[in-house]
Amino acid sequence: MNQHHPDSLTLMEFSAGNMTEPHALCIRLHLDQCSQCRSRVDMLDSLGAVMMEQQPQVSVSGSMFGTILDRIDNDPVEPEPLQHGRPLNPLQKLLGEDLTKLPWKRQLCDASVLDISDHFPDQTEQVVLQKLTAGGRAPAHTHRGQETTIVLQGAFSDNKGVFKQWDFVVLDEQDVHKPVALQGDDCITLSILSAPVKLTGMFTRLLNPFIR
Amino acid sequence: MITQKNQTHTAIRSAIKERPVSTLDQKPARAEGRKDPWSQLLEKVGKNQDREAYHSLFQHFGPQIKYYAMANGLASHAEELVQEVFVSIWRKSSLYDWRKAAASTWIFTIARNQRIDMLRKMKRTSAEMTIETEDLWQIPGDNENEPVTSLHRLMSERRIRESLSHLPEEQTTVIAKVYMENKSHQMVANELNIPLGTVKSRVRLALNKLKVILQDQNV
Ligand SMILES: [Zn+2]
Repeated sequence: MNQHHPDSLTLMEFSAGNMTEPHALCIRLHLDQCSQCRSRVDMLDSLGAVMMEQQPQVSVSGSMFGTILDRIDNDPVEPEPLQHGRPLNPLQKLLGEDLTKLPWKRQLCDASVLDISDHFPDQTEQVVLQKLTAGGRAPAHTHRGQETTIVLQGAFSDNKGVFKQWDFVVLDEQDVHKPVALQGDDCITLSILSAPVKLTGMFTRLLNPFIR
Repeated sequence: MITQKNQTHTAIRSAIKERPVSTLDQKPARAEGRKDPWSQLLEKVGKNQDREAYHSLFQHFGPQIKYYAMANGLASHAEELVQEVFVSIWRKSSLYDWRKAAASTWIFTIARNQRIDMLRKMKRTSAEMTIETEDLWQIPGDNENEPVTSLHRLMSERRIRESLSHLPEEQTTVIAKVYMENKSHQMVANELNIPLGTVKSRVRLALNKLKVILQDQNV
């Protein structure tokens, strides 16, 4: 059972379909594992349905239903391809099943990053995977914009609490964030940065994994 | 509800004929207890490829989806979206399970996904989409042991419809902009010229009354 969930307003923007693809990906990965949030999104989808029903209605052209029937007659339903084994989540479909085998770039002794922004060509946000070795610590940093993070593997703790696999957390400018990976497993997170992070300590620009 | 529509809709509204919003009670009788009439029709489409039932769904939901498309930035592709949604309804109808979602909710999610998909394809020129639209936006389904029972879910749609009518207009206006005009809370705040915090608190108040908020940390 997860402790850290997206708030209802974020889920509402998901339900309405009003968020960028990387953000939707984070929510989707959380929903995969969190039945509580799934049922909240179900309710929000019902809210969307009721909103839609209460708007004005626009009549559709008389010939459209015929066109639709032609389409379904000429393009019959194909059976869904059979799934072998456990289905991959959307991130695994994108990057491969084993995230530890990715071409990680080591930044500090404990920390590695992989920028996957190129997979989201329409977005201005930076999308990165971060990996902290078990028990390792990342440099303290703040955020100029907002950072949305979901834990994909392992767990980390900072001054706000312990974040386990599939936990969801949003940090903003006020948060000084000094994550430490818990012992046992490397901690891998997916983060979306609306602006690059700023190191707070004595680290130089070179050491900052996120400033290019 | 129609009289409450805000000014930004006027451009669209002037181009359309408004029709009275039909209520469910006027339509097919509420036979099988908890199952609403549209869900019964959708089930017939899924089980028997019933074209009469399909046509009834088209007549009821087609005009709603067309408005949805027009309000959501697809004004010149509105009929195209209605078509895509209905073709998709036909193809997926065998997967529809009335115990998991009311037909209107199920159809809303298809309309939303098709809207997103169409906008993505229009934006994208050459490159293929890296992640399928459904992989991002479709809630992982077919989990039989959900904590919220199916009855609970169906009740929730009925309850939302009823309690929405008791919400203050300033709250429903904000929600309508998020769902119908593809606006983030920030964009709604800018448009109404009110602080983001005010928008958020209006939404939170509404979601509290609609009992969508279960256990937010920061309410
Ligand atoms: Zn959750």
